[in-house]
Amino acid sequence: MTQSPTRRARLVLGPADCASVTEAVCAIAERPRPPAAWYAAFAISSAATVMFFAAIVYLISTGIGVWGNNSPVFWAFDITNFVFWIGIGHAGTLISAILFLFRQRWRTGINRFAEAMTIFAVVCAGIFPAIHVGRVWVLYWLAPYPNQMSLWPNFRSPLLWDVFAVSTYGTVSLLFWYLGMIPDLATLRDRTTAASSWRRFFYGLFALGWRGSASQWHRFEWAYLLLAALATPLVLSVHSVVSFDFAVAQVPGWHSTILPPYFVAGAIFSGCAMVVTLAVPARSLFGLKSLITMRHLDNMNKLILGMSLLVGYSYGIEWFMAWYSGNPYEAFAQLNRALGPYAWAFWLMMACNVLVPQLFWFQRIRTSLWLMLIIALLVNVGMWLERFVIIVVSLGRSYLPSSWGMYRPTVVDVMMLAGSFGLFLTLFLLFCRYLPMVAMAEVKGVLPPRDGGDEE
Amino acid sequence: MSSLDRQHNHDAWWRSPDELADAPRLGEFLDAEFPAEADPGGINRRRWLQLMGASLALAAVSGCRWKEQEILPFAERPEGRTPGKIERFATAMPLGDTVVGLEVACVDGRPIKIDGNPRHPQSLGATDVFAQAALLELYDPDRSQSVTLQNVENSQERTWEQFAEACQARCRRLHKTHGGGFHVLAEASSSPTLAALRSRLLNAFPKAKWFEYEPTGDDNQRAGAVLTFGRPLRTHLRLDRAKIIVCLDADPLGTHPAAVQYARDFAAGRQPESGKMSRLYVVEGGVSLTGAAADHRLPLRPSEIPGFVARLENSCGAGAPPAFAQDRRDACTTTETFIRAVVGDLLANENHGRSIVCVGPSQPPEVHAAVHRLNAMLGNVGEKGTIAYTRTFDPERPSHVEAIRTLVDEIGAGHVDTLLILGGNPVYNAPADLAFGEALKRVEMSIHLSGYRDETSRHCTWHLPRAHFLESWDDGRSYDGTYSVIQPMIAPLRNGRSPIEVLSMLLPSTGKDAKPSPEELVSKTFREQIAGESSAPWRKVLRDGLLADSRWPVETISPLPLGEGLGVRADRGSGTRGQASDSLPHPSSLISHPLSPSPHPNPLPKRERTVGDEQLEVIFRNDRSVYDGRFANNSWLQELPDPITRLTWGGAALIGPATAEKLGIKNEELVVLKVDDRQTRIPVYVLPGQAPDTVELLLGYGRWAAGKVGGDVPEIEPVGVDVYPLRTTATMHTAVATIVPTGEIYRLAGTQDHHAIDAVGREATEKRAATLIRQATLEHYRQHPDFAQHSDEHPPLKSLWKEPEYEGHRWGMSIDLSKCSGCGACVVACQAENNIPVVGRQQVLKGREMHWLRVDRYFRGEPNNPELAYQPLPCQQCELAPCEQVCPAAATVHSHEGLNDMVYNRCVGIRYCANNCPYQVRRFNFFNYHKELEDPENEIAKMKYNPQVTVRCRGVMEKCTYCVQRIQEAKIAAKNSGEAIRDGQIQTACQQTCPTGAIVFGDLADQSSEVLRLRRSARAYAILAELNVRPRTIYLARIRNPNPELESSDRKHGSPTT
Repeated sequence: MTQSPTRRARLVLGPADCASVTEAVCAIAERPRPPAAWYAAFAISSAATVMFFAAIVYLISTGIGVWGNNSPVFWAFDITNFVFWIGIGHAGTLISAILFLFRQRWRTGINRFAEAMTIFAVVCAGIFPAIHVGRVWVLYWLAPYPNQMSLWPNFRSPLLWDVFAVSTYGTVSLLFWYLGMIPDLATLRDRTTAASSWRRFFYGLFALGWRGSASQWHRFEWAYLLLAALATPLVLSVHSVVSFDFAVAQVPGWHSTILPPYFVAGAIFSGCAMVVTLAVPARSLFGLKSLITMRHLDNMNKLILGMSLLVGYSYGIEWFMAWYSGNPYEAFAQLNRALGPYAWAFWLMMACNVLVPQLFWFQRIRTSLWLMLIIALLVNVGMWLERFVIIVVSLGRSYLPSSWGMYRPTVVDVMMLAGSFGLFLTLFLLFCRYLPMVAMAEVKGVLPPRDGGDEE
Repeated sequence: MSSLDRQHNHDAWWRSPDELADAPRLGEFLDAEFPAEADPGGINRRRWLQLMGASLALAAVSGCRWKEQEILPFAERPEGRTPGKIERFATAMPLGDTVVGLEVACVDGRPIKIDGNPRHPQSLGATDVFAQAALLELYDPDRSQSVTLQNVENSQERTWEQFAEACQARCRRLHKTHGGGFHVLAEASSSPTLAALRSRLLNAFPKAKWFEYEPTGDDNQRAGAVLTFGRPLRTHLRLDRAKIIVCLDADPLGTHPAAVQYARDFAAGRQPESGKMSRLYVVEGGVSLTGAAADHRLPLRPSEIPGFVARLENSCGAGAPPAFAQDRRDACTTTETFIRAVVGDLLANENHGRSIVCVGPSQPPEVHAAVHRLNAMLGNVGEKGTIAYTRTFDPERPSHVEAIRTLVDEIGAGHVDTLLILGGNPVYNAPADLAFGEALKRVEMSIHLSGYRDETSRHCTWHLPRAHFLESWDDGRSYDGTYSVIQPMIAPLRNGRSPIEVLSMLLPSTGKDAKPSPEELVSKTFREQIAGESSAPWRKVLRDGLLADSRWPVETISPLPLGEGLGVRADRGSGTRGQASDSLPHPSSLISHPLSPSPHPNPLPKRERTVGDEQLEVIFRNDRSVYDGRFANNSWLQELPDPITRLTWGGAALIGPATAEKLGIKNEELVVLKVDDRQTRIPVYVLPGQAPDTVELLLGYGRWAAGKVGGDVPEIEPVGVDVYPLRTTATMHTAVATIVPTGEIYRLAGTQDHHAIDAVGREATEKRAATLIRQATLEHYRQHPDFAQHSDEHPPLKSLWKEPEYEGHRWGMSIDLSKCSGCGACVVACQAENNIPVVGRQQVLKGREMHWLRVDRYFRGEPNNPELAYQPLPCQQCELAPCEQVCPAAATVHSHEGLNDMVYNRCVGIRYCANNCPYQVRRFNFFNYHKELEDPENEIAKMKYNPQVTVRCRGVMEKCTYCVQRIQEAKIAAKNSGEAIRDGQIQTACQQTCPTGAIVFGDLADQSSEVLRLRRSARAYAILAELNVRPRTIYLARIRNPNPELESSDRKHGSPTT
């Protein structure tokens, strides 16, 4: 597929027209049976989901002690997973909102499922802070609701900001995803036969009476643009606020002004890696190679490379500031990451996040499906470890050496990490099965002209 | 029902007149309400308390028809008693052959907190950890509650009446033989009442024999005194008067029976501000609390200490420090330098009569004798001096080892058919070579009175439940001889009886009256033996808990045992043969080889030259938590971190770093220890400061019939390893062992240094410890009194937030690191006061211990002989508290008096506050740590709770509150009375029990308060002040008084370390 860089690659390959795009995308949802691989994947992921919820029930009925959290490591896998999943979501918003505003039309092939990924990642992310509290049953106290005690939450706490940031982000992402899907849902509705009346009902319900009239398109375009504008600052704000949980606290290794941009870069980094991780198998599984082309993947890999450099820079700044600030606790926090009992996590993180993505300087690697899949997976591992290093390693050795401690995950910790992946994949597989995986209406806008020349 | 069965017994404690009168309705009522009194499972707690209240109220109207029997203090204010109000009664806790005076806080008839008795000279309001934790034992559901008769096949429950019948039958038979075949084995006691009953018993049964056994005791001290003075005198130290203190394997601040008083005296003798500063030298094998407090410490094997003493005596006698020997190895040079410094200090003119040399119970009598001579030579002895001698309790008794050996011999010879064991647990803790458990099988009728159905009970034909000391009448003499009364705080919860009650059951009735009640027995002893001319009223004695000024008079020693020939020579010691582990020749014979460790037959001295073999010198000592094993079922004590090792839930074999390296043993590695043909597998803890080639073993662990906490094989694994099997009559204090590493690792539950530390962590720890524990030498302090305030530099501190403003009280605390001895009494006191749960070994391993107050321990300097320092860490009650800022639920908020209030009800359990606490003093309920209380069996355990403190549920954060309930109580009282709160009126639980008075709490807004004075002291500093959290708890820098001769150059300035 490689072409001269002076020529833009086509966004849709093959002899495609509007009908074939509709057919290719709708057929996936309309097929009576998905491919066997889907069944296998669904079996595994739904089993993991069941395990996830069983573990949650066990956790809530028994206590936080079923995890390995302790004193001083009061947060461990729970918040690590939360930050990890929130980060995964970021690529979706970035692709759908920011690239939309920047008129990066190549986004059309992948934006729908990147957005879906965002929603599902936020679902996974939202579960962890909710269940990690000691008393889940009074969680609603964090909401600022009027009550007879005139008690309000503490607005100085970054965690409260977090509640607002994440719930706003989740809401806007859901709306954005859903709004963009309305024309496609109408297409699916219109293609249903009488035999599948439930499909007709649900697609019809969610299509909100879309008729494709010019005024509807007009309002749709405006609403989409406005939501995109609304979602764009969220890409920056959500992870900035998440990082405040750490930056505002005074734990050495957390208390640092670099954290907001560093977290945003890391989030986009991991999100792009997750897009690649999902896109590579999905496009071959559902025959979408002509819609999600190698050019899309190539672009994502370039994004990964760029974000890797940003993340690496942030790591460097942390070390620089540890030295430059003259704060012995900060300096120790960094040294402890590299030389302390969790040094393996630090160096693995460095390798996965900084070294391995440098391979994407080579076009051959950027366009090799297997290699990009492996690298994307390693980036995911690295980004999870990054949060582990920040949270657990910093907490384990804060100010008083007398209360330093080690964290060891329990089986339940590992089950919940694996289970959250199960939930994420289950939701994603259901999405692939029942919803338009590619934004048909948008892709049709970037179809090559009939004469076969370039689209621009 | 057993409790109703005993209603006709006038000795029994009853709950209401109806019960005593056997009102049928009450019987039904009890049956319905207490379906199993013997098994409190059926008791509804609320109902139980109602009944308690009702029966207490009814007690006031009793006395018309039945003989009235009242617990005196309760009659103090029968009407006008406010339910729920704390009342305090004096009593005492017996431990070994001493007692400690206590004051017990009771609510609605149940004791909830034990404090020291401020009037008691041995306590002055403070206690040790054992007294603090005794409350938990009172409410221990594992305590035995029924008389049990057991034979080979099974065990059956019996009543006290059935036992009395069996007993009377036996007594009739014994009368015929004049008590032949009747033996009593008692644990050590200082009770005059028990002694009186004992002589009555021996009068009634002239051929009966009485033995007294304690696994650890003062045998060597007594023998040493006999060697010197011809009679077993007790040595008393005046640490507050001394300028130079030399402790030889002695632990006056830790395990000594008078440690509470001594710790206070020691602190009184070290006041940097006034310039009065004693100097403490410690020579010891293990690391004791005294060693931790030392200005100079020399680790020596116990067998090397006689040589050291001989050398010391020789040099002091010569009147000059010894000259250096030229051809000594480095280690010896260290010892020589040390001796030179010690002798120099002891002989200095200004220290004449103002020094103390003391020696511990594990050293042989000859060493004690030498030390007596040394003190006499240095002019320390006398009423006005630093050393005083008094009589001791029961001077006639043979040594404990002798006693138990004789008893076992008698049993072996078939002379014993009736054996009454009053307390103690000899099957567990008798010397292993006596095989006491086997011997017991040959006794036809063996009776064990014990709080638990323990190892010994299970070997006896009869087990009798023993009443807790908080449930019984008794008396005792404290270490200085002060007569103290033990009075019940509550009727026996578990149907137990005290030793004096059991003894009086065996005695024939004296008159036509029924047997006297235990109170009558005790008051009779008081009237007949104690009161004498003083004619102090019994009621006053009861109220005070003691007879004032009843300490034993100081004995005048004349002539003083100065040097050779004046003391009583060793031939008098033939009666003491064998009681001491190492029978040494008189130290004078050592003088010709002053530095050879010891020429006695023990092969150890030669080992010095055979480096590389696997032989070590074993030191046995009582554990600092479970004592000799008797407190093994007390989870407060099991979970109390050892002050030195920081280990909980089971001890370990302690060896020094150099020895570990030499033998290739890792920390936490299981080793096989062999003493002769006896061996055991035990994990090793590498303890910096442990003398080379020694291994210290802690007695008291590995109980197999202690209870659900301490071990109950086969259901419950024992806690720790039992080392009594290695201890024989010949090796009561020290032994020689070989050690073989197994390579297996056993994780020890420590609360500090949870893991082997890496280089980067160690370096940071050292740097930080220096700013956390600020210390200086006395000299440096005199030149720079405010040195502690200049040891950290930071930019000007500005707050991001509006700073809180305070009106009214501003509570604050100061902790004097010069005084803190690290004993841990404050930790248990806090646990008792604040209903702090115990979490168990597994949770401690995970790092989830719940203590609100912890005592951090830091080592400094050379690992083989480090300096130790302690830092108690309660919540620092920051004015700009990081925890408050980050809690999203506003569950931890600032009070207008400056406390960080923790609102348990509002806590969601996010734990952000704990992450953000730089002092890591917040504790989280990871589980429902009170879950076992849902078990009906444990209903009784709920009675221990302080009703003024919320019991926290799962999922909430908790932390030190400065005992806010006490603050509120005082504020309410002050408001009602219209008077201001006096300084010192409010004491936190930790402060109240601290033996050295290191903790001071008060109102910083009160310009005359002690805490404000201390806060303004030049030594005051806050830890982590650079974070601008403005802690209300401040520390006073630690001042040491090292000998300049010994102070190596790098340690000259207190500020820290390499």
